[in-house]
Amino acid sequence: MDTNKVILGIYNDPDHIYDTTKKLIHDGYRVRDVYSPFAIHGMDRVLGIKRSRLTVAAFCFAMTGIVLALTLQTYASYFDWQMNVGGKPSLHIPTYIPITFELAILCTAFGMVGCFFAVNKMVWGKNADIIDIRVTDDLFVVAIDIIPNKTDIAELSSILKNNGAIEIREREFED
Amino acid sequence: MSYESPIRDLLVTGGKTYSDITKDITRPIENKPSKAWWLGFGLSSIVLAIWIFSTTYTMLVGLGAWGLNKTVGWAFDITNFVFWVGIGHAGTLISAVLLLFRQKWRMSINRSAEAMTIFAVLCAASFILSHMGRPWVAYWPIPLPNAFGSLWVNFNSPLVWDVFAISTYFSVSLVFWYVGLIPDIATVRDRATSKARKFWYGFFAMGWNGSTKVWHRYEVISLILAAISTPLVLSVHSIVSMDFATSLVPGWHTTIFPPYFVAGAIFSGFGMVLTLLVVAREVLNYKDYITSEHLDAMCRVVMLTGTLVGLAYITEFFVAAYSGVEYEQYAFLNRAFGPYGWSYWIMMGCNLVAPQVFWSKWARTTPWFIFIMSIIVNIGMWFERFVIIVTSLHRDFLPSSWSMYTPTIVEFSILLGSFGLFFFLFFLFMKFLPSINMSELKSIVKTKHALELEKQYTELLNNNHKMPHHAHETKGDSVHGH
Repeated sequence: MDTNKVILGIYNDPDHIYDTTKKLIHDGYRVRDVYSPFAIHGMDRVLGIKRSRLTVAAFCFAMTGIVLALTLQTYASYFDWQMNVGGKPSLHIPTYIPITFELAILCTAFGMVGCFFAVNKMVWGKNADIIDIRVTDDLFVVAIDIIPNKTDIAELSSILKNNGAIEIREREFED
Repeated sequence: MSYESPIRDLLVTGGKTYSDITKDITRPIENKPSKAWWLGFGLSSIVLAIWIFSTTYTMLVGLGAWGLNKTVGWAFDITNFVFWVGIGHAGTLISAVLLLFRQKWRMSINRSAEAMTIFAVLCAASFILSHMGRPWVAYWPIPLPNAFGSLWVNFNSPLVWDVFAISTYFSVSLVFWYVGLIPDIATVRDRATSKARKFWYGFFAMGWNGSTKVWHRYEVISLILAAISTPLVLSVHSIVSMDFATSLVPGWHTTIFPPYFVAGAIFSGFGMVLTLLVVAREVLNYKDYITSEHLDAMCRVVMLTGTLVGLAYITEFFVAAYSGVEYEQYAFLNRAFGPYGWSYWIMMGCNLVAPQVFWSKWARTTPWFIFIMSIIVNIGMWFERFVIIVTSLHRDFLPSSWSMYTPTIVEFSILLGSFGLFFFLFFLFMKFLPSINMSELKSIVKTKHALELEKQYTELLNNNHKMPHHAHETKGDSVHGH
């Protein structure tokens, strides 16, 4: 980013901010992000966010779980030390299925959520850089990059205002 | 954002705005607890003390403190274990299965139902520990190599599967619950006035900032967590049922067990959800969020699953008769008309007959009546497990081994005490965490804009105009849309 100044348009209606963001992007403004107390449906597409690859990660973790579980069970009960319990076979894949299934799910859940935290840079105790404290309550904020000598702040403000912004202000952004 | 469903009333009533939701739901966290809370918390702490005392006593004395004998080696302990695991199932069903089915009414109740799951599984696990008799070797079912004093575990045994199933279930439910809590914890953080609250909620909010990028990923993982929790919840109780079904004991050795147990688990779980929510909506004044529409929907599930387990009871009888195996036939006749016949009829009455009252709309929407029914359901489901376990065991293949089982005061105390543990945790949860999912609820509240459009639309319809194009544009319903 060649700029760290943004202008914030603050809204109290998700429909207004949705329409505004659409218009701003259409008009060629660089919208950095939109902050909201809940997921505004379709906003990710408006902002051009690509579908998250966390689904791929989930699949890989599931496969890891399956391989781990099958390896553990076949190694322990067939290769390492065979036990005769009621004459049942030591290598019997069908009875391995429940544990394999459970471990696949365990790995998927923890692996995927771990990746989710990692890509969002979320850790326990992290000091959040909150764009506006009311964004977790009832307000919606759109942040637009100010490009020096290019962005017409007056015009931008009027677009925001005309589309229902209740507050407009500038803010430094630390990356 | 707006959400419209032709077959349901509004899911949030009282014309709530976004900030109303925040205020209402953070109220118990930000204010001193009410007298009702202290009363409930105090009472459950006393009962918890009974649990601590009786469990410690069992561990000091050994299983001789219980009424078990050689013939009936499983009784109260496993009954309570299966009972509590079953209770947990409604939480996952509500948050995962109903999410996949796009049932919006889950949004007001999923948070507390998931909390219930976690606490119920903890209670269940406590029975496994005390049932072992030697809890200090509780790590033995974990596959550890020979050096730890035992051989590898037997992977052919459903008891080992159970260890994996229950621990996976507990930890995945915990993750699902926590991920769902993060945006709401951030809300509490941003409203916090005291330093301690700011620190602790800030700590667990992990720097949540409400960015669209984060929300996008959040929706993706919520959907996948729901998708993996759905088969998980079905597998857990199926595996619990295999603890019985893979044995050769008449009355246990049936292929119907997995679906029958899962239906029973959902039935009892919804019973417990109703017990908790009917009280919580009164005490916390959440009637606008947990409406009679929600109670109605839950009662329907109770009726359906109750009838399903009833069908399973009858099917078991039919299969026993049709099989021509006299051991099997005797086991079922003994269940219904033997020395423990009274418990069988309690089970039948509470689980199959009683829920049929929910065919009536009045019964489904009258809170005090639902509360009584939910207790009946829980009693019935506890007796179901008791019937399955004790009546099948107490008549052995050898008549010389036939015996009766009578629980001791210690066993009763542990059962009672486990409710103390459960409610103790639940009261703490209600005080310290948002007990309704705010961020999801906000997504289904109608905005001013949507209400205006709706008004215009109705006016147009009333004026007998043609339906306008895009008159009611809804951008969907936010979380977990497509």
